[in-house]
Amino acid sequence: MDPVFRWIESSALSVWTRESTSLLAYPAILSAHAIGMALAAGVNAAIALRLLGAAPGIPEAEMRRYAGVVWIGFAVNAVSGMLLLIAYPTKAMTNPIFYVKLSLVAVGLAVFVAVNKRLGQWTSAARPWIGIALLVSWGGAIVAGRLLAYTYRRLMAG
Amino acid sequence: MVNFQMWLVTVFASVKPIGRLMHTAWGWPVAESLHFIGLSLLIGTVGLFDLRLLGLGRRIPIAALHRLIPWGLAGFGINAVSGIAFLLTEPDQYVYNPSFHLKVLFIAAAGSNALTFYLTTYRKVAADGAPADAPPAAKAMAAASLSLWVGVIIAGRLLTFYRPFPCQPPEPGFLATCIPGFHANWK
Repeated sequence: MDPVFRWIESSALSVWTRESTSLLAYPAILSAHAIGMALAAGVNAAIALRLLGAAPGIPEAEMRRYAGVVWIGFAVNAVSGMLLLIAYPTKAMTNPIFYVKLSLVAVGLAVFVAVNKRLGQWTSAARPWIGIALLVSWGGAIVAGRLLAYTYRRLMAG
Repeated sequence: MVNFQMWLVTVFASVKPIGRLMHTAWGWPVAESLHFIGLSLLIGTVGLFDLRLLGLGRRIPIAALHRLIPWGLAGFGINAVSGIAFLLTEPDQYVYNPSFHLKVLFIAAAGSNALTFYLTTYRKVAADGAPADAPPAAKAMAAASLSLWVGVIIAGRLLTFYRPFPCQPPEPGFLATCIPGFHANWK
């Protein structure tokens, strides 16, 4: 994989993201990634809390109105995450936790899509399990993402 | 103010047990993970409430959605505790950091804004039979809240890029944004 990593690392976009001293480069991308995370994981947490019995006065089906916020957060993070990956491909792709994070995001998103479609129709037996699944997958994705800063073995291939 | 900052650093640095805990292999990463979970809880509840006041999801009663706010406060509590742990462990990385000054300012402004909301329009917007559309004053405060919390996140993420550098004692003015009294050959 090293030749591929080196090729990405030497691309203009990778060099700019990594080395530019502009606030609009790495700092802005990291900030966007944190804001997108808060939107996507935060709204999922709100839906999970409602399913687990908090704020029972919220008409559950109406929470579908907030799905757009999850998708905006996800889109922001897909783009910013891709840029972070292009900046440091070796750092992410040689770290097993990176794949754990991607899997947890995929699970969280899949559960969200399935749950959101039928909000307001879930049986009382299923509700707490769905809530827990949302909290564990999104919370786990956040933890795995945070650990990437401390667990990488190689920063760059070049 | 510069002397006050230097005094703060000495006081914070004297709290040894927390620093020791944070310097264990898992201390800092665990606190960081909690800090990001807390921030998501805060935005997912307080931020969602702000969006509701601004008109998103009008068929959800404002008072009903407000029942999620304690969870946002819990998130803020997690972040206050983990944030103080960072501060006590590496005080000079924060006390002299302009991005940290801005972050504290934004948090204080968001807090005052929330307090103003509760003292002025909260009762009206959350009353039984209140209209689905919040009054303009509530919307303005919701917009301020959202912007300030986003500002807090950005200032928090920028902390690393504004790590204070060592400087000579006379250099700082009102607020030191470098580490005074640290005679290093950075020039």
